[in-house]
Amino acid sequence: MSTETNQNNNPDEDFLVVENLTTTFNTARGPLPAVGGVSFRLGHNETLGVVGESGSGKTVLSRTIMGLQPRTNVEVGGSVRFDGHEIVGATEAELREIWGTKVAMIFQDPMTSLNPVTKIGKQIGESLHVRLGMSKDEAKARAIELLTLVGIPSPEERYEAYPTQLSGGMRQRVMIAIALACNPSLLLADEPTTGLDVTIQAQILNLLDELQMKLQMSVILVTHDLGVVATRTDRIIVMYAGRVVEMGRTKDVFKDHRMPYTRALLESTPRVSNPSHTRLKTIPGRPPNLLKLAEGCAFAPRCSRATEKCSQERPNLEPTGTDGHYFACWNPLDNQSAPVSSSTGSTKEFGEDNVRS
Amino acid sequence: MTNTETPMIPNEIVVEHPEKREPIGLFTWICVGWLAINLGVALLTPFLPIANPKEMISMPSMGMSLDHLMGTDSLGRDLFARVAWGSRISLGVGLGAMAIGFGIGGPLGMLAAFRRGKLDVALSSVMFTLLAFPSIIAIISILSMWWPRSLAKIILVVGISSVPLVYRVIRAATLSAGSKEYITAARVLGAKDRRIVFRELLPNVAPTGLSFLLFGVATVIALEGVLAFLGLSIDPNTAPSWGNLINDARQSLNDTPQNWPLIIFPSAILCLFILALNFVGDRLRSYFDVTEVKL
Amino acid sequence: MLKYFIKRLVALVAIIIAISIGSFFMIQLLPGDLATSILGVANTPANKRELYARLGLDKGLVQQYLTWMGHVLQGDLGKSYITGESINTSIGKSLPIDLEIIFLSQIVAFACAIPLAMKAARKPNGLFDRLSNGLTFGLLSVPSFIIVVYLVLIIAIKAQIPGTGPGSFTRWPEWAWLFTDTGMFFTTVGHNLTSMVIPTLALSIGSFVVYFRVLRSDLIATLQEEFITMARSKGLSSRRIMWRHAFRPSSVALLGTAGINIGGLIAGGFVVQYLLAIPGLGGLLIASITLQDYLVIQSTVFVVAVAVIVINFTVDFITTLVDPRIARD
Repeated sequence: MSTETNQNNNPDEDFLVVENLTTTFNTARGPLPAVGGVSFRLGHNETLGVVGESGSGKTVLSRTIMGLQPRTNVEVGGSVRFDGHEIVGATEAELREIWGTKVAMIFQDPMTSLNPVTKIGKQIGESLHVRLGMSKDEAKARAIELLTLVGIPSPEERYEAYPTQLSGGMRQRVMIAIALACNPSLLLADEPTTGLDVTIQAQILNLLDELQMKLQMSVILVTHDLGVVATRTDRIIVMYAGRVVEMGRTKDVFKDHRMPYTRALLESTPRVSNPSHTRLKTIPGRPPNLLKLAEGCAFAPRCSRATEKCSQERPNLEPTGTDGHYFACWNPLDNQSAPVSSSTGSTKEFGEDNVRS
Repeated sequence: MTNTETPMIPNEIVVEHPEKREPIGLFTWICVGWLAINLGVALLTPFLPIANPKEMISMPSMGMSLDHLMGTDSLGRDLFARVAWGSRISLGVGLGAMAIGFGIGGPLGMLAAFRRGKLDVALSSVMFTLLAFPSIIAIISILSMWWPRSLAKIILVVGISSVPLVYRVIRAATLSAGSKEYITAARVLGAKDRRIVFRELLPNVAPTGLSFLLFGVATVIALEGVLAFLGLSIDPNTAPSWGNLINDARQSLNDTPQNWPLIIFPSAILCLFILALNFVGDRLRSYFDVTEVKL
Repeated sequence: MLKYFIKRLVALVAIIIAISIGSFFMIQLLPGDLATSILGVANTPANKRELYARLGLDKGLVQQYLTWMGHVLQGDLGKSYITGESINTSIGKSLPIDLEIIFLSQIVAFACAIPLAMKAARKPNGLFDRLSNGLTFGLLSVPSFIIVVYLVLIIAIKAQIPGTGPGSFTRWPEWAWLFTDTGMFFTTVGHNLTSMVIPTLALSIGSFVVYFRVLRSDLIATLQEEFITMARSKGLSSRRIMWRHAFRPSSVALLGTAGINIGGLIAGGFVVQYLLAIPGLGGLLIASITLQDYLVIQSTVFVVAVAVIVINFTVDFITTLVDPRIARD
């Protein structure tokens, strides 16, 4: 799917259209704009990476795209058009029609996202039985197939297991099986590998990759780890404080990033080519308090390039000239002057064994 | 990478918690006030201008009046005086029994949790076995055969039967307080046991203990009512407890159904007192729980 | 799982032995003279010695205990020293009454608590939740003996519903009647159920309050779990999420509470039985206390204590079946 034809202007790009999406939580301490106006498009079979620190709004964004925000104390604005459905403003009954069957989600922590008192086989078979109307026996047979598909050994036995009886990696595979049960055309994966060992992480990501090809899905991969998105996505959105600060084709964002925040994220990610004991750069300061966002660029207080203007006026997304590559910064890094430290610009550095062809 | 992991949206915003930390609240203070009034009356009854609860000072079964705030009972005794004197018995049983329960169960529970090891195993197996025994049956059978009845015997039997429960609560609270890092830190710094127990553990166990004490007093006061109904509490003719008053009223109400204050007042006061104890205990517990989560 | 079960079973046996020792020595060590209560004025030293020899009370306490335990293990609880009636028969007549009251009251309590707790937990801090929460907190502070007194006053005396008041208890008919006289059978069942109204209500209110509060707060916590969001994302209906995904894990807490509560009900039901003159175990125990009928007291206490513990054990075991997390530590 990361073939050149897919990346270029694609007639399919209207599969998922997100326009000026906002999610605001009404909290006791005032409104909290967790997502502050996000727009992007996603085509069929395309993979989009959403990158940002914890609390940058990426989890809330992915849930809002699906319409899965909490039922109370939250306001959603803008528009999400998914395969002909408008998600924003739809009732839960309408959303239920597409949940699971057209759009599915893999949750961050498989330990807490699987029902602890239900056998995993039943949890996979549930949507098959309830949503697709399969008989219990059919659902069971299909659940066992799905367990095989996600690479769980001796699936008949595992069908009877409870989540606590599985390892973290196995649990995440079960999560994937549940999400894929009804053949969704859009898969939202929210930090699917965060709690796992590095080796297991690679396995799960490869599995996702493989299944995407096999089942022809679009995928939104949400993560804080640039290493995860480097080789497995077609395009990337970098989020900060609930807004998109840079977006573009993965290659372009890595090679030619303009936003100092993207640079900072890149520099704080461990890389294969670094000599051992390389000290990673950290981003000074803390992520902003969304309840007290200032007028200007939210990253300004932590940015070494910040000027007066940055704290007074918020920059809008501007095109770089490269197709589909945008950034929001008053003092962007430019191509030549950017002091690229130790081959920051190569996606290969982030996981050489898994480079997408 | 440490900075990038700093959480920015507190979890409680994304996942809305319905039970946030509330201020102490007016109703809690009303409850505290009600408890204080009852305690004050119980302590000061002999010095207050309150009628003799045993003296037949008026016509029987009189309604409420300025002279007799709650009316009189079937023998012409002043109900208000009887309720006031009754609070001495009921509160006395509640506080006395809990004093015994906490006096024995508290130190044992702390000791077991603090020392751990064989002592803990031995004490806990005895206590948990006793806990399995339905204590009300033991209380009923012991009191029914231990003549003559007296306040001290009731307090003693109920108090001792509460020891295993107090032990379990205090031991659990001490264990959870003791596993906190500051206790480990104090140990590593070489603090003496006595210092750890009194300066570090006790202040952390005290809130749990206090709220359980309030629940305990409430339970014992209700239990005394049960004993009074079974005729196992102290003789209602020498000194009535709240339970005795309700039991008397129940019996005399068959003859004089119009004298409803006789049953309404003592039972309402008993229930409201238990309600106040439960409420304050509950607030206390959630108040300290939430503080701990915030830390 | 099996290992856990066996471990619990060993503990159960140990506790039952401890209880038998407890109920035996508790009675023995108490002051009070058996000879006086049996022989009355004929309590001469010679008569007393003869009586003790006949009842085996002249032996050492340990030997007495072993003899008693030996009989108990063979299923014989002995005979009353005073009435001479077999204790097996007395308990056999009384126990079904306790079981019926407990069974009925638990059905009423669960039938009210589960739907109401679900309704309250759907909108935490909503109007219904606040109201029901406040009301049940208030009810929590009303002891069951007061509830009985008021129920008797209101139902039996004020509303004059026949067959509900103290002393109106009717036994459940023998099954044989169903085949010989069906009409009589159902009339008696009707009488029995009417006489159960007050005791059932009295015990179910207390249970309902406890179950409602435990289930409500557990459901509210469960509904915030990530696996509920996950279930929503599968496109399941709210009803299915409530029952299959929220209620099942929450029912673990409910079951545990029910176990403790039912144990308490056997004992708490005594007062209710006493006030309504119902001849259950409570009635038996209190009658034998009045008669100072030592062996009956001792055996009843033992049977009730064992029943409570076996119930707790069973509930505990069911809980581990429902929740695979428990047995895994």
